[in-house]
Amino acid sequence: MQALLSFAQSPPLDAPFRFFLTAPLFAILAGMLMLWGGPDLFASRWTPAALALTHLISVGFMLQVMLGAMIQILPVFAGANLLRPRLVVPVVHATIALGALLLVAGFLSQQAPAFWLAVLLLGSGLALFIGAAGHALHHVPATNPTINGLKLALPGLSVTVGLGILLAVGLDGAFALPLLQLTSLHLVWGFVGWGVVLLAAVAFVVVPMFQLTPPYPAWFARCFAWLVLALLCCWTVTARWPGPSSLLAGAVVLSVAAFAVHTLQLQRCSKRARFDATQHCWRLAMLCTLAACAVWFTGVRGPSLTARQEWLCGVLALFGGFMSVMIGMLYKIVPFLVWLHLQNLGGVHFLAPNMNKVISAPQIRYQMQAHFLALALLLAAVVWPRWFAYPAGLAILIANLWLLRNLLAAVGFYRQQGQKIAAMLPATPATASR
Amino acid sequence: MRAITEFMANHHRCCDGLLVAVEQAVVSGAWERARTEFARFQDAMRHHFTAEESLLFPLFEQSTGMYRGPTQVMRGEHGQMRQLLAGVASALDARDGEDYAGSVETLLIMMQQHNIKEENVLYPMCDQHLADQVDALLPGLQSQIAGEERVPT
Ligand SMILES: [Fe+2]
Repeated sequence: MQALLSFAQSPPLDAPFRFFLTAPLFAILAGMLMLWGGPDLFASRWTPAALALTHLISVGFMLQVMLGAMIQILPVFAGANLLRPRLVVPVVHATIALGALLLVAGFLSQQAPAFWLAVLLLGSGLALFIGAAGHALHHVPATNPTINGLKLALPGLSVTVGLGILLAVGLDGAFALPLLQLTSLHLVWGFVGWGVVLLAAVAFVVVPMFQLTPPYPAWFARCFAWLVLALLCCWTVTARWPGPSSLLAGAVVLSVAAFAVHTLQLQRCSKRARFDATQHCWRLAMLCTLAACAVWFTGVRGPSLTARQEWLCGVLALFGGFMSVMIGMLYKIVPFLVWLHLQNLGGVHFLAPNMNKVISAPQIRYQMQAHFLALALLLAAVVWPRWFAYPAGLAILIANLWLLRNLLAAVGFYRQQGQKIAAMLPATPATASR
Repeated sequence: MRAITEFMANHHRCCDGLLVAVEQAVVSGAWERARTEFARFQDAMRHHFTAEESLLFPLFEQSTGMYRGPTQVMRGEHGQMRQLLAGVASALDARDGEDYAGSVETLLIMMQQHNIKEENVLYPMCDQHLADQVDALLPGLQSQIAGEERVPT
């Protein structure tokens, strides 16, 4: 019953927007880091600069977008609102933003205090978020694959954070931890147990309903999150034995590939009139995910993945997969929320300008092309760092400055139209039915 | 135990199908056909809203005592969708492709996020609270959705 009451108040506009506007800042820093690090950054994924880069994208960009989106979709998808959002949301946002910065500073400076502080901030901020989201979802029965997926993504995030903390503590060598194994556990739980499980939960609803495609096969949607989680648990337990472990890892990669294939197939049947920016982003993201899976499989046939293959997998999954799909979704969520809040301000005798007016279509197209170019250059930089490291860094910088510009344009549009509406309604005090 | 959810969600999908027909007409530049297809879609949506507002929601409110809760939000969103439907209709009348694309995009997202709320939260609660009235309720919903009983609004 409490769950039911809560979609009466959808979160205020600034709750998701503070996350969405922070995300590109981290990707801008990633571009600057590549310009500073140059070709040497690509020597191995273990260089401090490379670790800083991956965390700028994952903990910086991705986490911001994912948490912002989750705050917005919990009431819609599950009728579950965070408790005391006006307190929880700013605290979560500030701690993870600052935590991500300190983590990157820690990698680059190799100073223990930065790591400790980063761990403290990220750990407590995410614990607060997981607690708040878990509390909101606790009483909601998992009646469909999406609610189930939202619930199961939280343990995935918890394991990722826990392993991350363990790694940060173990880095100075004080404890004899198997750092290599822990690192691969950490990144696979983050990519798959949190990232893909959450993405799939959202996709099961968003792809059929917003892109007008047939639904995902019911058995697939129902089993996916459970299957992935079960495989990840078995793989974690057997991490010491190479035989079963690589078999299970293969099964995890195959499940991710199956999700990408299903999504691509459905999107081919989309009945939308135009194949828009968001759909391009989804398609590219799923193709990159498939490519990452393929590289992984060609790699494991040898003794182990080479440094190039590891880089290719990482770039394809992070920049090509997650980042592309998130940019695509931002271009729907942000304009729609602006429209919705303007409409709420204006009341019943007013129709707000449609959402395509919020960010101009050419600006979206140019930014998307810049992102695609940055991805291509980054892939080239992995293979030929001497030639492409600097162009790739510059392209990432430009693409994300542009993304920031587009998101700020949406905020500007909201302010400007909001003032217009306020001037139009002099008699009634602005009673926005939030 | 999921009779209401299934019935109403099915009709949501029917409405999706009608919107697809509009989209396809617009893609092929058949503005006249787009208008007639849109009229069918708009009718189906209105009947759906009416069935909920005059039958399903009042029953839910009576049996739960929640008059100012989710049903009030849903009624508000119906109002916003009626405005958006009118916006799409005038874009079609003016044969303005750009205005149509923007209006229909806004309507689609508004409509689907509304449907998600209903299908994931409100309808399951209806199934739970109105279990003993389902047999009487479903034929009523059926005839309202088919447009047989116009309820003055
Ligand atoms: Fe409704």
